[in-house]
Amino acid sequence: MDFFLQLLFTGLGIGAVYALVALGFVLIFRATSVVNFAQGEFSMVAAYLMVVFAVDLGWPYWLAFLISIAGMALLGAVFNLFVYYPLRNRTYLPVLISTIGASIFLSNSVLALYGPQPQVLPGWLDTPGFQLGSVYLDSQYLIIIGVTIALVAFQYWLFEHTLLGKKLQATSQDKEMATLLGIPVAAMIMITFVYSAVIGGIAGILVAPVLFVSIQMGSTIALKAFAATIIGGFGDVAGAILGGFAIGVIETFGAAYISVPFKDAFAFLVLIVFLAVRPQGIFGERVAEKA
Amino acid sequence: MRLTRRSMNLRLAASLTAPALARAAIAADETIKIGMVLPVTGPAADSGKYALTGAKIALDRVNKLGGVLGKQVELVTEDDQTTNPGAVLAFSKLAAQPDIVAFLGSIRSTQNHAMAPDILKTGKPVCFGGTDPALTKMGNPWLIRFRPNDSYSGRVIASYGVEMLGKKSWAIVHSTDAFGMGGLNALSAALNKIGGKVVADQGYPNQSQDFTPVVLAIKSSDADIIGSYFTFDNDIAIFARQLRQLGVTLPWVGSPSIVVAGAVKLAGPALWGTYGIADYAVDSSPEAQEFAKLYSAVSNASPDLYSAWTYDAIGVLSAAINKAGSTEPAKIRAAILSIRGYKGAEGEYNFDEFGDGLHGYNIVRNEKGLIVFDKHIEFTD
Repeated sequence: MDFFLQLLFTGLGIGAVYALVALGFVLIFRATSVVNFAQGEFSMVAAYLMVVFAVDLGWPYWLAFLISIAGMALLGAVFNLFVYYPLRNRTYLPVLISTIGASIFLSNSVLALYGPQPQVLPGWLDTPGFQLGSVYLDSQYLIIIGVTIALVAFQYWLFEHTLLGKKLQATSQDKEMATLLGIPVAAMIMITFVYSAVIGGIAGILVAPVLFVSIQMGSTIALKAFAATIIGGFGDVAGAILGGFAIGVIETFGAAYISVPFKDAFAFLVLIVFLAVRPQGIFGERVAEKA
Repeated sequence: MRLTRRSMNLRLAASLTAPALARAAIAADETIKIGMVLPVTGPAADSGKYALTGAKIALDRVNKLGGVLGKQVELVTEDDQTTNPGAVLAFSKLAAQPDIVAFLGSIRSTQNHAMAPDILKTGKPVCFGGTDPALTKMGNPWLIRFRPNDSYSGRVIASYGVEMLGKKSWAIVHSTDAFGMGGLNALSAALNKIGGKVVADQGYPNQSQDFTPVVLAIKSSDADIIGSYFTFDNDIAIFARQLRQLGVTLPWVGSPSIVVAGAVKLAGPALWGTYGIADYAVDSSPEAQEFAKLYSAVSNASPDLYSAWTYDAIGVLSAAINKAGSTEPAKIRAAILSIRGYKGAEGEYNFDEFGDGLHGYNIVRNEKGLIVFDKHIEFTD
């Protein structure tokens, strides 16, 4: 039982990270109908910003965090202007390739600027964790789970109870109709990119003390998060969150009870099963193409 | 001489092309080129940087002493992107340059396996750092190893754990790549011979984000010691931290990746008190100390095996080409294999018929983040 609870805790912790990155995928997909393959790199860039401000410059953690997040908002805006906006009237394929290009550009820029050595980022709390019965709770994982739940709640409130949220939703559902109704579509898409970059950044900063800060940290997480979005139903926020947690838990249990070497395979096995049996995902609409 | 249009044209043509031809002839003759495949991008990019620094230090030294065959030695590098296809591509790019006389291959066994067919086709010596014992025993004469192979690492880890620490029940944690599997086999075989037994065999895929299942499996086994073969710094650091968090305090003897600078820095206290085998240890010999001095003059990182093997490879290669008096591949190879008692940073090189230069390891301890030399174990069989 202790064994089980320990695994469950770790699975939920790592799943929360996947969920946060998946959330970024979903938001941009909803707004632009394109998968942003640089979503993982947002996490990586934010983690490096934290290393620069909190470790190298020694600024207080909260200040470094705020500045890093501001930096991510800026990156999201620049990303929109250079990667998405010029191609907005093309089909999804050029945009997709553009985001892949941006992902390579971001990781190699950080490599060139900061160098290849993985870095250490201390956690939010000084206590690394505590013992609850026979289960060890890593404080950083607790924070990750807490922040993920808080962000999901915030997102629900934003989309369901604010005018801005309604406008964002209208934009994602039908850009032409939204334009006719007087919604500034370009601005809405800009907000989406900024918000997604910030969420991806928060995920990166949260996970950095656990996984260390390295150039490839983003891509390893993003691949699983991508699987999570498909399992959840692409374009569905609740589905992405659930998918993220599901993948975290499934791979951890699969590794423990079946085989560690096949750990990464479990996430994708679930993905294949979903693609075969329920391609629209857990919460996906039963339509082939969005209107 | 009468100036006609034809003679004028000829002279013009000659005056235009002659300098270019002469330059080309000089360029081909000017230096001796050594190709180097190394990771500049990808997860092992940090180790690539160390490897290049080590090679450059040796190169400076050789060139200051007059170079090789009276010429300066030059390094031509290609990025392997830390992937097997990347390594194959990088090597074929280098192999296409006919004036490169020899190569430095990868420190990763899996990449050397990937490049091996092309290396055989190219037919020039490739000095490499991967430690899978099979690499020098598969009939490819051009692979020459500059680190002790894992048949030695397995024996040293086993003999230290069983004979010095008195622990017989082993949990082996290893990567599932060529290096990790080679290590697992070597360590299991060595343990069988001296009365140890493997009670938990835990393989993991590279770049794992979580090791809880591995740690719990060790915890619930009746292992009294851990042996490990990790490939990447961040993997070993994450594992070490989770191991301590979940309360496992077993003694731990690891393959060289446990004592490399990157892992020691990332893991911090989680690796304190562990033992590692190291082909390079600063205090193991005067040559190792000299290398450390040269290294610290150009880098603020501490020297480790990543930089030591390339330093030795360039040194041995230069000595061998001088000894052969020629850049003909077969003569270079014969000269390397005839080397006896070359004192490098990693130890004394005595090449055997397979192309293995080193036959022993140092045991070191992590004492609160400092790597301390314990003893050297050398095998003659």
